[in-house]
Amino acid sequence: MTTCCLSPQEVRLQSPEPDKAGRERVYGILETFQYQVPFIDVERARYFTESMRATEGQLLALRWAKALKNCAEKMTVYITPNQLIAGRAGQFGRYGILYPEIDGDFYGVVMRDLPNRAKSPFRISDTDINIILDEIAPYWEGKTYHEHLNGALPEELRNVTYADDSGLKSKFVVSETSSYRSALQWVHDYEKVLSRGMLDIQAEMRTRLKRLDPDSPIDNWEKKPFLEAMVIVCDAFMIWAKRHADLAREQAAAEKNPARKQELLRLADICERVPAHPARTFHEAVQSQWFVQMFSRIEQKASAIISNGRMDQYFYPYYAKDLAEGRITEERAMELLECMWVEMAQFIDLYINPTGNEFNEGYAHWEAVTIGGQTPDGHDATNDLTYLFLRSKREFPLNYPDLATRIHSRSPERFLYEVAETIKDGSGFPKLINDEEIVPLYVAKGAPFRDALDYAVSGCTEARMPNRDTYTSGCVYINFATAMEMTMHNGRMLKYGQDDLVGLETGDPTTFTTWERFWEAYKAQHMNLLSKAFTQQYVVDCLRPQHFASPFASVLHDLCVEDCKDLQSPRIEGGVDFSYFEFLGYGTVVDSLAAVKKLVFEDRKVTMAELVAALQNDFEGYEPLRALMQSAPCYGNNLPYADAIAKEVDRMTQVFAEKYSRIRGINCDVRYVPITSHVPFGKVVSATPNGRKAWTALSDGSSASHGADHNGPTAVLLSNYNSKNCDLKNRASRLLNIKLSPKCVSGEAGTRKLVDIIRSWCDLKLWHLQFNIINKETLLKAKADPNKYRGLLVRIAGYSSYFCDLSPDLQDDVINRTEHDEM
Amino acid sequence: MQDKEQTGIVFNMQKYSVHDGAGIRTMVFFKGCPLRCAWCSNPESQRPQPERGFSRYRCLSPAVCGYCIPACPRGCILDIEGLLAIDYTRCDGCLLCAQACPTGAMNVYGQRLTVAEVLETVEQDTVFYARSGGGMTLSGGEVMQQPEFAVALLREARHRRINTAMETCGHCDGDMLAEACRHLDSLIFDIKQLDSERHKQGTGVGNERILENFLRVCREFPELPILARTPVIPGFNDTEDDIRAIARFLPKRANLRYELLPYHRMGQAKYEFLGRAFPMGGAQLADGALNRLRSVALAR
Repeated sequence: MTTCCLSPQEVRLQSPEPDKAGRERVYGILETFQYQVPFIDVERARYFTESMRATEGQLLALRWAKALKNCAEKMTVYITPNQLIAGRAGQFGRYGILYPEIDGDFYGVVMRDLPNRAKSPFRISDTDINIILDEIAPYWEGKTYHEHLNGALPEELRNVTYADDSGLKSKFVVSETSSYRSALQWVHDYEKVLSRGMLDIQAEMRTRLKRLDPDSPIDNWEKKPFLEAMVIVCDAFMIWAKRHADLAREQAAAEKNPARKQELLRLADICERVPAHPARTFHEAVQSQWFVQMFSRIEQKASAIISNGRMDQYFYPYYAKDLAEGRITEERAMELLECMWVEMAQFIDLYINPTGNEFNEGYAHWEAVTIGGQTPDGHDATNDLTYLFLRSKREFPLNYPDLATRIHSRSPERFLYEVAETIKDGSGFPKLINDEEIVPLYVAKGAPFRDALDYAVSGCTEARMPNRDTYTSGCVYINFATAMEMTMHNGRMLKYGQDDLVGLETGDPTTFTTWERFWEAYKAQHMNLLSKAFTQQYVVDCLRPQHFASPFASVLHDLCVEDCKDLQSPRIEGGVDFSYFEFLGYGTVVDSLAAVKKLVFEDRKVTMAELVAALQNDFEGYEPLRALMQSAPCYGNNLPYADAIAKEVDRMTQVFAEKYSRIRGINCDVRYVPITSHVPFGKVVSATPNGRKAWTALSDGSSASHGADHNGPTAVLLSNYNSKNCDLKNRASRLLNIKLSPKCVSGEAGTRKLVDIIRSWCDLKLWHLQFNIINKETLLKAKADPNKYRGLLVRIAGYSSYFCDLSPDLQDDVINRTEHDEM
Repeated sequence: MQDKEQTGIVFNMQKYSVHDGAGIRTMVFFKGCPLRCAWCSNPESQRPQPERGFSRYRCLSPAVCGYCIPACPRGCILDIEGLLAIDYTRCDGCLLCAQACPTGAMNVYGQRLTVAEVLETVEQDTVFYARSGGGMTLSGGEVMQQPEFAVALLREARHRRINTAMETCGHCDGDMLAEACRHLDSLIFDIKQLDSERHKQGTGVGNERILENFLRVCREFPELPILARTPVIPGFNDTEDDIRAIARFLPKRANLRYELLPYHRMGQAKYEFLGRAFPMGGAQLADGALNRLRSVALAR
């Protein structure tokens, strides 16, 4: 297929300079860091550790609050030159910060390698390395959660979890993800800070302290220190903000340029006002929100970075009021938002742990901003600000924030039209999340309608209810492609050898005479992994509260404050716990099962012995057999043969999840969102019966195997729908990528067709959808000549990244996704 | 025989078609065509019977695979210096070779399907038709080469409330075409050249019957939206006079639109798969020609 039509993003890449008119400030800031290798800033780790050293023995939430106060008082504060908002957690440029409470025990091993690692390297000075190794790391040795978990897992669990004694290397079979983040992706109730201010919230904590029963042992030993922690963390936050006001005033005094001087003085006034007091203007609201999210990053490493919630909802009153009173214009509001986007882009979610890094390539971080959707009482929620976010994304196509649109059956035509126009721009934003799936599902899982209707997108595809969700553990990733491999090799994996019985001995497959026998063997391997995963997650849930606390997140959470429990506690009164487990290799497993069923047991064109030999030889010398196996019906084509297997695999998984969710009293749900991990998980899996070569990527999320979907995008959507078990509720998000060439959606008619697809997707009640509007030629050129395509954004799992930040493996992965076009 | 039991030869069904008619559509391609247009982008559609295609790019080579060689009862499949070759002069089209091929390098264009089978596939996408106003478009080949099948399919589709469109070259039985139009929601009618002699040079047939059928449909179906279409082919109909003549021929009516389609070479690879030469060679439309011709077409 020749390139006959370019997306606007591709046109921009071919022109030397973007149109910067009216955006001189944000482009100016962007240019200072855009393609930088990020720095590591050690101050947060240093002052956090300093305080933790001094508070041993106290309630963990209280220690955490004190540590945050120490950070707030001592960390250097910065205002990015020319910025209209203040607040960074580290030095200028692209940077990441350290959380030694998570991974401090192996800084000695990995720190010196960071600048040289192939994927997402970091820069750090020798002085800072010495601070880390002399001051920080020694304190944490023997104390980190990671060490605790590694020691606590029984051998049969450890053997599917880690590939080394220290637990540094994942085995990529049943992978825990809790040890490289201190919480799951999260959303705060930002509106609370904007409307009440921290002083009022702090006053409430003091009142609650006074109301405690002075004779109650529980109040004295648990609630009192918890509420004291709440008071301290409010102080910490306000101290940190106030230091920015002082800095702005200092800088203003020294500033020669009168215009900038005025800006700095104004910024000083704003930082004086918020977050202590309620915001009065749009600018104050933006600053207050930004302080909350930045301080939250100092508190903890929430996976994928803290999300932004429903920004078009909680900012709207301030925007509308400023507009009505002539204080602001659309352009000025957009500039303030874009000032936030360029600050966001500089904070990198740093993964010291090499496994964690594999999961989130391309310096990935997802500060999801949610727009659209419904109000808590079920009406359409779009407003003028909603459209401003979309316009900003079209005109200033940075990959931050990760824009997420909530779609429902009554989403206005204009909204969908502008969403489609924005998608057509080609940078992959926004992603679509479906109210028609999520709201009823969350109600079924125990959320009140009001909270379910008010959910915000968090991380790449998750939905959170800021005052209702209470589950924080990072969750297990299960590589079910290994269950397929172990069925073929009697419980072993070629990667780990004959001596390592990773799974169960389900028998020599060449002795299986019926499909049913083969299916039972697969099922046994599958269930074994599930069982291991659930136990592992339970260990994780039991250990984490001993290591992590989140006083800042807790003070913003109604239920934590009411119950006087830290958000990291195992159980909070009134909370709904949404845990999940990740299904890796769905398409790979389904296509392999379908191929074995069809060609070995039904058509009898291939014998099991030939197939086993072919897999052991990675199909070398077995090319015709490989071609035959690939000719079987594949998931993603709306073929009942494959989709029925897909549905059954999902079903048995959910039935297991339902039973043990019930026993545990939480929702432990199957999720299909690999982020970028289907690449590293594929690296341990030898050849599979669907013709996939050894060590290559697994299928991605609930998408079809690479290149296996050839019946067009409607078939992809229908397969996804057909494989769902709508009568069960232990399901979470399903990530679905569809790549279209720009020609497919060109012109007004193309926009119309995209809107129609989105409406139909909404009707089908599928969780998530994202489009990649790009020509394959452009991707190939970018791989060959990265310098020319530095700015090329691509969609990978739930976010966009610069294509050239990805490893060649992942670049191939993006290139090989089927492009739907017409002849 | 009931409509849904009627059968015909279909060589492809394509979902998510967004450039042929309103909304998101499913194309049903009929096999067999009375024309032999030199530029045809679906050469596999021309012959009425199922036939084999062969893609050397997907072939693993006879040394590695070679399943097709013993499968041929006439010995037409040859290993020539490590490459697979087909002796087209002796092939009788039994298709056993394609059945033996594991890779799909040899495939069969054309399959006999019932109306019910076609509609089962078409109806899979109803959720998309409902939102987009789409439906089923019959194309080819030439749909009216299998008139009974076409009419049965359209009648049954309408019974099932599926929006229907049809493309035709117009070289067919006028009565059957009129019968088909009774069950259509819109018609796409190709008019390629008004000069019959030149029409014959390009397509193998004169245009008298085509023009007559076109006027008849316009006359008998005043409510039927019609899209007249001209594929603009270099050296055949790419002058302003060619297009002006067609534009002037078209009757004046509100629901008749006229559209020019640019020549493309997307079908070139398929000629090779069929073991035929591509008659157009490297011919291309001149830069800007299409836009100039479009303004002529608009001026009708």
